[in-house]
Amino acid sequence: MKTVSVAPVAWREFVRNYGIAVVLVVLFIAAGIISPIFYRSANIFNVLQQASALGIVSIGQTLVILVGGIDLSIASVMATSCVFAAALMKGQNHLVLPVALFCLGIGALAGFINGVIVTRRNAPPFIVTLGTALIFQGIRFVYTKGAPFGSIPPMVRFLGRGGMGFLPASVIIFLLLAGIFALILRKTAYGRKIYAIGVNRRASLLSGIGVPNIILSTYILSGLFSAFGGLVLAGYLGFGDNWAGRGYELDSIAAVVVGGTSLAGGQGGVGGTVVGVLIMTIVFNMVLLAGLPYQFQQIVKGIIIAASVAFYSYLGRED
Amino acid sequence: MTHEPEKGGDTRVRNYISEMFLSSLFISRERGVNMRKILIVLMVGILVLGVSSLVFAKDWVQYLDADKKLVDTKMYFTPPPWKIGFSNASISNSWRVFFAKHVEYEVSKHPEIGEFLYTDAQDNPAKQLADVEDLLAKGINVLIISPATEAALNPAVEKAMEKGVPVVVVDRKVTTDAYVTFVESSNYEMGKVMAEWLVQKLNGKGKVVLLSGIAGAGPAEDRLKGAMDVFNANPGIEVLEQQYCEWSPVLGKQVMATMIQKYPQIDGVWADSALQGSGAIEALQEAGRPIPPVTGEDMNRYLKMWKEMGFDGVAVSFPTWQGQVAVQKAIDILNGIPVPRYVDVPRVIITKDDLDKYVRMDLPDEFFMDSRLPEEWLPKR
Repeated sequence: MKTVSVAPVAWREFVRNYGIAVVLVVLFIAAGIISPIFYRSANIFNVLQQASALGIVSIGQTLVILVGGIDLSIASVMATSCVFAAALMKGQNHLVLPVALFCLGIGALAGFINGVIVTRRNAPPFIVTLGTALIFQGIRFVYTKGAPFGSIPPMVRFLGRGGMGFLPASVIIFLLLAGIFALILRKTAYGRKIYAIGVNRRASLLSGIGVPNIILSTYILSGLFSAFGGLVLAGYLGFGDNWAGRGYELDSIAAVVVGGTSLAGGQGGVGGTVVGVLIMTIVFNMVLLAGLPYQFQQIVKGIIIAASVAFYSYLGRED
Repeated sequence: MTHEPEKGGDTRVRNYISEMFLSSLFISRERGVNMRKILIVLMVGILVLGVSSLVFAKDWVQYLDADKKLVDTKMYFTPPPWKIGFSNASISNSWRVFFAKHVEYEVSKHPEIGEFLYTDAQDNPAKQLADVEDLLAKGINVLIISPATEAALNPAVEKAMEKGVPVVVVDRKVTTDAYVTFVESSNYEMGKVMAEWLVQKLNGKGKVVLLSGIAGAGPAEDRLKGAMDVFNANPGIEVLEQQYCEWSPVLGKQVMATMIQKYPQIDGVWADSALQGSGAIEALQEAGRPIPPVTGEDMNRYLKMWKEMGFDGVAVSFPTWQGQVAVQKAIDILNGIPVPRYVDVPRVIITKDDLDKYVRMDLPDEFFMDSRLPEEWLPKR
């Protein structure tokens, strides 16, 4: 039985595209009702700051998921970048640029390994990126002998914790990057090809799109974003932690899914992911403000993920 | 109308439950087996099991005293050179790295040790079971084990003891009696000592926030219990909130940042480790509030922050040199010297007065400073 009338389809489109933004607004209001503290500029600052590192890596995750892949190496690359930043910058501002480039290089390398194996060997990205995560975990343990050293220079610290009023520096970078990639996805041929591959890889291949290279590029971008997210986290933390970013690989997937990007690929976008990241972070903040034990965060998080997946699959049923 | 359906529902539920019970015994109701018979069989079975376990309960060790505090090790006397096996859970964090280093360091001091076999289970209990099998097959004289999880390694240590290989359990416990000595530093005591310091600093009056490790993890729960026993005994102390931070500096900072918004007055912070503790200190500092007393560990990160910011601190160590003590006990066992059944390695309490003795501004943040390692043994790049 196919729906014939036009109106429900338009309504469905609207809900699919903007429903999650409505949820965010509702959550934003509800949070203030649960605790007026939520609206304090210092608290908004905290929320936005906590959203930034997760948001930055989630942009990369969105790109990978849009072409039908997944990246589980994000957390490991973040921690590796964080540890190397501390060890090589040694707390000195003049070393920030070369070392940051080196860290981004590590991220790009991780993404390159992921992308090459996934595309050239046609291997399942789930396993490939898990393997890469282990490789980079091993690398940083070998390098640090288990005890990270060095320190984070003030410039990077500003990136991770600086800001004005309710606006942290990191969230500006996050939103800037999100805006750029939302535009790229929407307006450029490269962006449209990403969607085409996600919807139908074979058709894309037959219509002359360089499918392997574009998939490879999304993994490299995800690696770059992970390394950059690691630097932001290093700035937030102030030292090289071997486990910085732990859990971000799954949190980023959750944020992407909540934001309406389909795990099957080809549907969704960066805008939804930004909303997804904000929802996840606000929930974390709300649970703490409400005085619920931290474990409740996991329950609420799980409910949100399950509910949004059910919601999107319901909407997508008759597409 | 009112009671009839309810009753029906009730019996249906009861039928369902007994059906489940019967089917779980692979007996269908249709065969008409009497419920009472089944129960009798079950009771007898349980009784037999219970009695037999009493009869066959094994005395894994022989005690030299009535209080069961000192274990006789004469039967383990072995002339050197010895083959010592060390099955480590992992070196996945810097505490474990320092711990393993202390084992190696102590081994290096004893020429009587002919061979030292080391395995790393990478936090995987299944791998650790295989590791122990491996070590036993290689004919070790004594097994030192730091289990990945509490109960999972029981079969491994039981097998070793059955083969006559004495077992020294260190850092985390096993739930069987099949070992000669257990070397640890009491987590309960650690949490308690930290809380006592905080109560004393606050003169028994104030509002505190508690930041724990991982919910359900033995050390975190034990430390929390130690702390709560102290706070509950001091009615002047109000526990504003207790939260878990997964021993993550990032989460410690994020959780503390929210606590700061929530509570206009926080007089003290009890953190069960310097990991989330250091994150919490950062959050307090960035909020521009005077930093209240914050508990911590001997981790250099915390000591450096303490030294630089000058807040009221205390560092209670969870000694990494438990590893060293474990090797010493293993050597005692092979020499036939009696060993205590339980060894509580004393924690060092670093106060303002001896902070300078422990803090090292030139060393990495994640070093543990209550260390017995000579300089050349410290982990280097």
